[in-house]
Amino acid sequence: MPSPLRPSVLAVIVSCAAAFAGSGCDNTITSSEALPPLEMASLDSNAGSWRMIVLSGPTQFTVAAPVAETSAAYAVELAAIRTAQANLTAAQRNSIAFWAGGGVLRWNQIERELVARFNLPPAPRPDGTYPVPDPENPFADPQFPFANPPYAARAYSYVAVAQYEALKTAWYWKYQFHRRSPARIDGGIRALMPVGDLPAYPSEDAVLSGVTVEMLKVLFPAAVAEITQRAAEQRNAALWSGKAAASDIAAGLALGKAVAATLIARAGADGMRNAVGNAAQWQALADSAVARGEIPWISQESPPRPPMLPNFGLLQAWLMTSAEVTTERPPAPPSTSSAQMRQELSEVRQTVDHLTRDQLAIAYKWNDGAGTYTPPGHWNDVAAEYVRDARMSEVRAARAFALLNMAMHDAAVGCWGVKYTYFNPRPVELDPGITTVIGLPNFPAYPSGHSTFSAAAAMVLSYLFPQAAPDFDAMKDEASISRLYGGIHYRSDIERGKEHGARIGGYAVRFAQQDGAN
Amino acid sequence: MKASSVRVLLVIVPLAASARAQTIDDGLLMPSGVLGTGSFYAHESWSQYWEGTLKRDNGNIGTLTTQSVTWVAGYGVTDRLSVMALLPYVWTRASQGTLQGMHGVQDFTLAAKYRLLSTPFTERGTLHAMVVGAAGIPASNYVPDFLPLSIGLASRRFSGRFTLNFQAYAGWFVTGSAAYTWRTKVTLDRPAYYTNGQLYLSNQVAMPNVVDYTVTAGYEHGRLCIPISLSQQRTEGGGDIRRQDMPFVSNRMDWVRVDGRVIYTLPAPRELSIRLGASRIVSGRNVGQATTLTSGLFYTFHL
Repeated sequence: MPSPLRPSVLAVIVSCAAAFAGSGCDNTITSSEALPPLEMASLDSNAGSWRMIVLSGPTQFTVAAPVAETSAAYAVELAAIRTAQANLTAAQRNSIAFWAGGGVLRWNQIERELVARFNLPPAPRPDGTYPVPDPENPFADPQFPFANPPYAARAYSYVAVAQYEALKTAWYWKYQFHRRSPARIDGGIRALMPVGDLPAYPSEDAVLSGVTVEMLKVLFPAAVAEITQRAAEQRNAALWSGKAAASDIAAGLALGKAVAATLIARAGADGMRNAVGNAAQWQALADSAVARGEIPWISQESPPRPPMLPNFGLLQAWLMTSAEVTTERPPAPPSTSSAQMRQELSEVRQTVDHLTRDQLAIAYKWNDGAGTYTPPGHWNDVAAEYVRDARMSEVRAARAFALLNMAMHDAAVGCWGVKYTYFNPRPVELDPGITTVIGLPNFPAYPSGHSTFSAAAAMVLSYLFPQAAPDFDAMKDEASISRLYGGIHYRSDIERGKEHGARIGGYAVRFAQQDGAN
Repeated sequence: MKASSVRVLLVIVPLAASARAQTIDDGLLMPSGVLGTGSFYAHESWSQYWEGTLKRDNGNIGTLTTQSVTWVAGYGVTDRLSVMALLPYVWTRASQGTLQGMHGVQDFTLAAKYRLLSTPFTERGTLHAMVVGAAGIPASNYVPDFLPLSIGLASRRFSGRFTLNFQAYAGWFVTGSAAYTWRTKVTLDRPAYYTNGQLYLSNQVAMPNVVDYTVTAGYEHGRLCIPISLSQQRTEGGGDIRRQDMPFVSNRMDWVRVDGRVIYTLPAPRELSIRLGASRIVSGRNVGQATTLTSGLFYTFHL
């Protein structure tokens, strides 16, 4: 029946389309951020002296001197660029336009996509148990990693710190050698992306390419092919655009990879490998809560799922000692048998039973649950616009993301430590009449991770962009209260989480005040 | 999942006129000057769904139940032109897990059906051909981003439909109908989403268009009419639900459904008809395997 009807159907389509022309049927959505070509507001020529975080200093990695701009070898490199520019394809021009927006911003955007892609919990097996994602077998089901909020916070921070350390080192060597960009040397080479006075050797684009590809390959191994291709594209764009010559790129790539190796070594020993824990330990957490006279957290998923990363709170922080991680913790939550807990539970019930459309919108705006770039990703999304508008140099942009993401990583460490100290039940567990309008996170309630992340992030962003501090503050409050609207957190979780996050964010601000970049 | 079934509802909820009543995709028109109105109740449930092409259940949903009450009306402007309108109130519930059901007024649909042709065909009956234009808009500010608990997809839609009907003098009939539906962007409450292998840094979601086909055969005798349908919806794009992910508003929602109805016009008052229906999704992608039971009353006025 359908096939003989098709010609008539098409006729109807055509006539209807004509009748409804202009009724708003344009279905095009631009997926990525609009980034104008980066014209750096400042070269930040002293960035080679800015304070390091992991490296001992900019000379921990030596970059050999380049050949002279007048050498025959370099002339060959310039000729290669002229040839490439004479034969650019549309795809190559698109690639140049994409990376001209800034490597730090573009990689941050790519990483947010990777997090969203990998932020899915394992599906249960038929026997009701859950497999654990295996970094040795990342392409299997379940895929590795499960990029949940702590994993994502750590991933964003490692990439950002590695980029920042590598770029400070690159800046140091750039100003040792002062080699110019090909487009500045050779009148036959056009500048197809902004080519300023920043010395070209080693190429900052290649440094970013090398350091980022190595970090992402460890953090998201199943995406290796795509990551490698993107990194190569970034280096090619630098070459084709007349911004860097082959030797600028080779030196940058080597430097980036060398710095990444240092960060990867740190990641291998930061405690992440033990963060999942084991069944005996999960039971001990519940037993401990019972021994304290409290109702322990119980997974509300069906089948029950092991708690998310119980030992993440033991990870090495970036800017806090383990003693500081402990001393900055908030006090214990209200007892599960206290009048205050009953009152707070009642508030959750009242809230979810009478949600307004505006409250629902806030709950969904900040949900950032499974399948999304997570709350730390949301704050990177927020930060990216300010970094773009400030036209920061690559090294200063890397600083902004490093400060932001170190603070959120340390917030995850701090928050998860508290969650598994108290193992406090979610509102739904204490009152099964409560329903949630967002997915219920599968880990203890106190304190709210969103509140801790958001307060730490808002603290750092308010320092970096003081003119927008009231906006960040309002976003922090909205993200935090969204968890009450969602029906998944008590008010104490939110308030203590915000205070805790602000204290943790303070460490990043104090670091930034003395890092030589102001 | 949910949303597709609500779309099903919009298509199949009967717009009865007289003895046989009328749907958007049947081959019938309201007689000139006749106004019919009524309401229908639908109960739809599923405990299994297709996550992409993988059929599964989900302990955090259990059985997903969607109920709706739909007000419908149809009016014969001329003998060749009818207009009709639908407005459903929908509420959803999951039997397991913590997710809150949603409820509210869903989408208002207005359709105009125009008969192109009505002619004796062979010695056995009459052939009818008609076109239908239908437009739907959300009638409340409901949340489309909480599938499968959302009550709808919140997209504006326009569809063009062509229907061919053969009505035998002996009482049996066959109808074929096909439609193409354009859908506008949906606006979410969040600033970014991931679907179909890509992160979108936008609150706007492009909605793939939809094609649907229905073939109906039935028999009418006296006050009784029994149509049986096989219908298919195919979404022209959209991503699959990823492993252990939530469904998303622009997913590729495809299905094949069988549907049976009984329409009975009372001896008195003769203006009142009763209808009962049952349908079942037999195959699908990114939808629940829904079983739907419907019942309704329809009353006609001769103005």
